[in-house]
Amino acid sequence: MNKNRKATREKRGKQLLFSVVFLVLGFMLAFSYRTVGSHMQELDEVQTDLFLQEEQYRGDLITQQERNKELTNELLEKQRKIQEFEENFSNQEENHAVLVEKARDLRLLLGVMPATGAGVKVTLEDADYDPSVQNPNDYIVHESHVLRVINELKIAGAQGLSINGQRINSNSYIKCTGPVIMIDGRTFPAPFIIEAVGDPNVLVPAMQLKGSVIDGLVRDNIVVTLEEMKEIKLSAIRDEV
Amino acid sequence: MWLPLLGLLLGISLGLLSDIQIPQEYNNYLTVAILAAFDTLFGGIRAYLQQVYDDRIFVSGFFFNILLAAALAFLGVHLGVDLYLAAVFAFGVRLFQNIAVIRRILLAKRTSNNKKTNANT
Repeated sequence: MNKNRKATREKRGKQLLFSVVFLVLGFMLAFSYRTVGSHMQELDEVQTDLFLQEEQYRGDLITQQERNKELTNELLEKQRKIQEFEENFSNQEENHAVLVEKARDLRLLLGVMPATGAGVKVTLEDADYDPSVQNPNDYIVHESHVLRVINELKIAGAQGLSINGQRINSNSYIKCTGPVIMIDGRTFPAPFIIEAVGDPNVLVPAMQLKGSVIDGLVRDNIVVTLEEMKEIKLSAIRDEV
Repeated sequence: MWLPLLGLLLGISLGLLSDIQIPQEYNNYLTVAILAAFDTLFGGIRAYLQQVYDDRIFVSGFFFNILLAAALAFLGVHLGVDLYLAAVFAFGVRLFQNIAVIRRILLAKRTSNNKKTNANT
């Protein structure tokens, strides 16, 4: 009986010990399960937050980059336009220079302004009286001679012309009135000094061509002198009186 | 027999209901401690089957192993060496060995039982 009781008590103690062991085991298991689970969840949440933030930043970055690209394109476009403008401007300046040159030439041609420039001076004089020649018309300068000289000079590219200081343009007329000639309503006697502004290198050879004007004039007994001038001053055209 | 089971249930419920929070860096200690507990448990079962079971060895081993494992992990953290991995490794290997031994013993018992019954018939 006593022995039996002792055995049961031992058994009881054993069971108590085991229960304590299992209590600790169960507690540890449950606690670990709970903590690890919650930590995992936290980790997940944190990661999701970070991920979302990263996504947002990435989106912002992409938007910014797109905007940058747009702006760059705009800048390029603007620069291209500026270049165009500049080109136009320079072209216009060139055009302007050309126009100024043209205007100068046209003014020369019209003769509305006094002009200066390099050119040639042609003097036509009547020949000395020759008693053997019956007709005095054979040795005086006629308006046709003057016209020939004028025409030749114009053809050769003379820009401004004057006869005895009288500026002439395309509308001028030259008329024979006996021993004198009338130019634009004014009469001029011989000798006739024809001044032409233009390139002397062209005008002089044009006058001196074989069988050309000067030859013809010399054949008509006219004293012709041809001078190359560094500077010729032409007055403006005068209104008809 | 119902007292240890009650203890287990009580422990689980306590663990689930308790509001204690431990920092994450101590998770390692807990894991190693659980591993040690399991190791001791299976070691006890094996000893019982081999008829060399001793209460004192079992209980002292249970608590001592848990504490030792936790201490090892703690030391490892402070030394900058992952010593808890050593504990995990050691306990893991022993766990497998214990379970293998239990399996063999159970198998041997079953075959001997079968033989016995066969001889009887």
